[in-house]
Amino acid sequence: MTTTPLLLTPGRRADDTPVLKAAGEIDMSNADALASALDALPGRIVVDLTAVEYLDSAALSVLFARHERIELLTSPLIAPVLAVSGLADLTTVRETDG
Amino acid sequence: MVEGEGLKSPVPEAGPPGAFAADPEIGRDLAEVDWAATPLGRPEDWPQSLLTAVSILLSSRFSMWMAWGPELTFFCNAAYRRDTLGRKYPWALGRPVREVWAEVWEDVRPRVDSVLAGSSTWDEALLLFLRRSGFSEESYHTFSYSPLRDDDGRVVGVLCVVSEETDRVVAERRMSTLRDLGSVPLALLTEQESVAFASRQLERNTKDLPFTLTYLFQEDGSARLEASTGIAAGHPAAPERLVADDASAPWPVPWPAGRETRQETVPVALDGPAHAALPGGAWPEPPTHALITPLPGQDTTPYGFLVTALNRYRPLDEDYRGFVELVAGHLSAGVSRARSYRAQQRRAEELAELDRAKTTFFSNISHEFRTPLTLIMGPVEELRTRLADAGAAVREELDVIHRNGLRMGRLVNNLLEFSRIEAGRVEARYEPVDLAAVTADLASVFRSAVDRAGIGLVVDCRPLRVPVYVDRGMWEKVVLNLLSNALKFTFEGTIGVSVRAEGAQAVVVVTDTGTGVPEHEVPRLFERFHRVAHARARSGEGSGIGLALVRELVLLHGGVITVRSAEGRGTRFTVRLPFGTAHLPPEAVAPAGPPATTGDTAEPYLQEALRWLPEPAQEGDPVSVASGPAAGTVPEPARNRAAAGSTKIVVADDNADMREYLTRLLSGAGHEVRSVHDGQEALAAIREQAPDLVVSDVMMPRLDGLALVAALRADPRTATVPVLLLSARAGQEASIEGLRAGADDYLVKPFAAGELLARVRAAVELSRLRNHHARWRTALVDSLQEGFFVCDEEGAVIETNAAFAGILGYGPQELPHPTPHPWWPDSRRDPEAHRQAEESFTRLARAGEGSATVPFTHRDGRRVWVSVTVARAEDPDTGRRVVVGTFRDVTAEHHAVRRDNALAALSSRMSEADSTTGVLAGALEELRGLWRAHRVTAAVFTAGERPELTVAGAPVTWDRLPAGERRLLTGLSGRPPLTPVADDHGAGILVEHPDGPLALRVDLGLRRPFSGEDELLLSLLAGRLAQALGRARQVDRQRETALALQRAILGPSRLPGGFAVRYEPAVRPLEVGGDWYDTVPLADGRMGIVVGDCVGRGLGAAAVMGQLRSACRALLLQQPDPARVLMALDHFAVGVPGALCTTVFCGVLDPRTGSLSYSSAGHPPGILTPADGATVLLEEGRSIPLGVLPGRDRPTGTCVMPARSTLLLYTDGLVERRGVPLTQGIARAGRAVQDGRGTDLDALAGDLMARLAPADGYDDDVALLLYRHPAPLDLVFPAESGQLATVRQALRGWLKQCDVPADTAQNVLVAAGEACANAIEHGHRDSPGDTVRLHAETSGAALRLRVEDTGRWKRPDPRALPRRGRGVALMRALMQQVTIVPGPAGTTVDMHTRITP
Repeated sequence: MTTTPLLLTPGRRADDTPVLKAAGEIDMSNADALASALDALPGRIVVDLTAVEYLDSAALSVLFARHERIELLTSPLIAPVLAVSGLADLTTVRETDG
Repeated sequence: MVEGEGLKSPVPEAGPPGAFAADPEIGRDLAEVDWAATPLGRPEDWPQSLLTAVSILLSSRFSMWMAWGPELTFFCNAAYRRDTLGRKYPWALGRPVREVWAEVWEDVRPRVDSVLAGSSTWDEALLLFLRRSGFSEESYHTFSYSPLRDDDGRVVGVLCVVSEETDRVVAERRMSTLRDLGSVPLALLTEQESVAFASRQLERNTKDLPFTLTYLFQEDGSARLEASTGIAAGHPAAPERLVADDASAPWPVPWPAGRETRQETVPVALDGPAHAALPGGAWPEPPTHALITPLPGQDTTPYGFLVTALNRYRPLDEDYRGFVELVAGHLSAGVSRARSYRAQQRRAEELAELDRAKTTFFSNISHEFRTPLTLIMGPVEELRTRLADAGAAVREELDVIHRNGLRMGRLVNNLLEFSRIEAGRVEARYEPVDLAAVTADLASVFRSAVDRAGIGLVVDCRPLRVPVYVDRGMWEKVVLNLLSNALKFTFEGTIGVSVRAEGAQAVVVVTDTGTGVPEHEVPRLFERFHRVAHARARSGEGSGIGLALVRELVLLHGGVITVRSAEGRGTRFTVRLPFGTAHLPPEAVAPAGPPATTGDTAEPYLQEALRWLPEPAQEGDPVSVASGPAAGTVPEPARNRAAAGSTKIVVADDNADMREYLTRLLSGAGHEVRSVHDGQEALAAIREQAPDLVVSDVMMPRLDGLALVAALRADPRTATVPVLLLSARAGQEASIEGLRAGADDYLVKPFAAGELLARVRAAVELSRLRNHHARWRTALVDSLQEGFFVCDEEGAVIETNAAFAGILGYGPQELPHPTPHPWWPDSRRDPEAHRQAEESFTRLARAGEGSATVPFTHRDGRRVWVSVTVARAEDPDTGRRVVVGTFRDVTAEHHAVRRDNALAALSSRMSEADSTTGVLAGALEELRGLWRAHRVTAAVFTAGERPELTVAGAPVTWDRLPAGERRLLTGLSGRPPLTPVADDHGAGILVEHPDGPLALRVDLGLRRPFSGEDELLLSLLAGRLAQALGRARQVDRQRETALALQRAILGPSRLPGGFAVRYEPAVRPLEVGGDWYDTVPLADGRMGIVVGDCVGRGLGAAAVMGQLRSACRALLLQQPDPARVLMALDHFAVGVPGALCTTVFCGVLDPRTGSLSYSSAGHPPGILTPADGATVLLEEGRSIPLGVLPGRDRPTGTCVMPARSTLLLYTDGLVERRGVPLTQGIARAGRAVQDGRGTDLDALAGDLMARLAPADGYDDDVALLLYRHPAPLDLVFPAESGQLATVRQALRGWLKQCDVPADTAQNVLVAAGEACANAIEHGHRDSPGDTVRLHAETSGAALRLRVEDTGRWKRPDPRALPRRGRGVALMRALMQQVTIVPGPAGTTVDMHTRITP
């Protein structure tokens, strides 16, 4: 059985804000991993999704549930999904060019 | 604030104009400022922090200004210029802010100081007077000030973000005034109060309304000041009275009363002599203008007008004007309300006066009645005593007088009592009584009457703990009236009386199971003189005063009475009386008196009730006592015994005394009398046997005398029966009404016996003459053997004879029968037969002569065929044109003919069919037509799992067939053959079919009888069918063999994905010809594609084609190189007779990349159509046809099919037309593919065949093969979330092959992912191992995806709902069209999106 590739790297920014960098794809098979990684970090988190190639409603649900404490970095690839789902209205979403 | 805007940090370029570039327009003006003259110096030298700040300012959509440096030099952006700065732009740019805002500097300065000290501050809705539009303007702004820092972090400037809120503040203020005006207290009854209230509200808004004056027009045309606000009384601008055309007045009087002028608001400049020293309201300066606004009245004239001084600090715009007009509207609504209230009150007073007069009149007249009544009753009592032995007849007459005297006394007493209550002159004596006992006692009085009526009386009066204070006399009337009412309207069931305590009240309930009252009548039940119309009652008599009196009496006791009633179910009266005496006038409360007997009051009620009821049967009683007709039968009225040949008279009256009196009178005169209780019974009795005369009362329950006359006149059989009406209603109008209704004579009660007898004699003589010849005619008609009938002009059957009743079952007592006649077949169950009957009848009736054979339905439901002959005639009595007809029963003949026809039709139908399937289908259609059946089904029970079904009618599969029908068919399979079995909806029969037993069923759809004749016919037809099936089977076998052979040589029966083909042989009924197509899957994943065309047509060419196809296939598998394959085929063709000159297109396609290598042996070029349109012909690799020069090298052509392009290969039959160059045909085909490049591939193949076909069909073999690149993606995967990544990978790859733009691809990926996740999560959570199927395909311009699961859906887990809802929402947002079809066998999600590059 193939599992969906996903790499989750926690870190901190210069200003000490926790950052969770995700790379790969997020769907119902591994959305729980995203949830646990987020829950392991305290306070406000910047979730860096620029290296995520695919993200579906399972992932969105994880992010919706935590929208008050996350800020998103995204690539143009998945920005439309964040926008149509309405998540972009609840949290700060910053789009990078790459 | 700035942050919320999401400003991107601009990267300032070195020096201007870079800093000003964010807004070219403002930037240009900024660049023109002489900056060197300001403390900021030349922009080139500005610090980075200033450049950044300017850049932010200019790029923002919010209105902002900033000030920088020691003099706080002013900058602003476009929004600020537009909203606030106005005419000060561009003057203000580069000036010190204190100059720019000199007029408000005192307000702004503290804020600026505070910001420069380092802290932000803001002001909400600050009032500022701005001079931006040429006048000092009231405005409101919210300002937020924040510090600006230089490169070193020192505060050197102020950024102010402004939002103007003038509109909001002003609108809120005005709304508040309008709201206050709208909250009118209901108690404002006069005009003055209403205007004063409004003025108090206007006074609170001196900003928009510095002062107001409300003037109302007077009758003399002048206007009077009703109210004013904001201005002192006696001010020269507020005169008490204004007259029209007075030039010296401060205000013109617009729209003076009586002059037609347009009512609109007039502005007035306040510059006249009377306008000096006007008050300014909330403002420092007096107003400069005012508006004069009409107070619109209900007609063209306004009530008056409103003068409003205007706020000089706001422009008079639409909003302001609208506000003032709404204020005026409120004012005039108040005036209007007050005036209409006044009018209503006057009307109410007039009505009350009228009512009082009526009460007085009733009181007087009732008194007047009592005197003569007393003088009648006294002597009658006397006579009864004195004549006790005078014989039955005399005693009976005296009893009648006595009874009716009592009744009249009661009526008069009730009226009087009522008048007394109305006039407040009632003398009550409330004494404590045992209410339960008293009430039960009263109920028991009615026991005998209730018993005789055959209904039950349930009395449930348990003693109460405390006595109730009632006036005995009044209480008796309450209970007796309610009981009498119940008995009057109850025909079966029970009357109930109960007494119980409920809290501090005694509750008395009288219920009945009588006729009840319609809902809309309930509220009027207690209304004086109101009588419920048309209620079925034991008596039509009544004054309409009983229940009104009851209510008044209960109210006098401080109680309430309520009623609930349901029509046809009964009525329930509930009386509630409070315990104690607190609610009663103290002077009327008395100690308990001696127990009284109820007899005196009760007697008249009881006597009257008894007269409504059937008398106990007595020997020799000449009077009918039937209380009502039993359902469906005509009552048998009693007849008195009179000599034969005497006159027959029907007497109808609901009053038993009157009925008996009339009967006695008329019998005594030698007439034969039948007496009935009401109009309905009279009608039945008259229809059963027409009398010589009807004597009827006018007022009767159910059907009154006038309606009876109308019913008699409407029916031709009774139209001539003479009627004599009797009525108590005197007066010219009443008798005219009676005569107009068609009565022959009219007699007013009271009448003298002699007069009645004289009139009866006259009427009877007349009727005798009329009836003599009619009787003779009736006897003659009844003796006819054939059915006979007469129709009037409307087509209604008005006369029939005995044979008619015998054939159709409808007797003369039910006449007339209007169209549609009851024997016409039911229009819903058998529309065809109904139509036939109706059409024949209409045709015959119109023509007035002729004959026809038509289907009718006998009263017992069976179908009867009759042959009708009609002729036109004129009724000698009335002169009306009628149609006379006779008919006879031809049912047996009809069925014989029908059988012959049906067998012939079936045989002819089956001779056309050449297969068992065709025979069966044809036979079913024939049967369906014959019986006009809903559906005819045939199930062949073969060895298979389920029977093979053939259907005529709505198509259906075995599994979708209703279970009942499946059972019927299965049941038939075990029965002996050719034996019909009828069921509820039709009939079935077993037939022998070559493949197994065939159960055949004719479903008529509705409950239409399947007669014995039908069964016989069905078995005859089934026998014929069985023979035909056997014969057809032999033909079938031969053909099947031939077809199998042909198909074997044509091509692959299963096509790979992405391909579509069509094949049409030129010679019928062959299914193959000389053309062929082939697809050959090769070992390396590539695909061989071949289209070829042998010379010639028909079977010979097909045989050659078969060999070439097989050879080509084998060669391709051996070496997938098109040119080499064709070269080898060259050699092969030489050895096959007829193979020479065959043309072939042979290609090898890599479906992964779309690359195609090909070679053509003299074959027309393939046509490649990319998604963007331009057609390409595959003309490389072209050489001569097969076998012409064996051994010669053949060239290879190559191309790469672009994503979503379509390839068409074909034989020349598709494009070649006589007299037209081949290139033109190819170009046509190319255009057709181009037009269809957005169409689904298989549909495109069909379209091409249709569009390119010559007018009279293809005359050569045609083979056509289409491929669209890439082939559809078809994935079947286990329903597990771990599969999603793999599926996605495959889909991503396919989308890339399709060359879909990246954003579309991502959308499709997510939407498909959601659909798959849905299928996994919902469809398969509890049944792992099921599969999900993803199918994706492209037409040139669109993508279509389908996700199907095969598992059963479980109830969704509520916890997962928001998430799944989100998934579906995503799908819908990302794709153009999403259809989700849940079904019992799985769910299918269909998605569709266009590809826009």
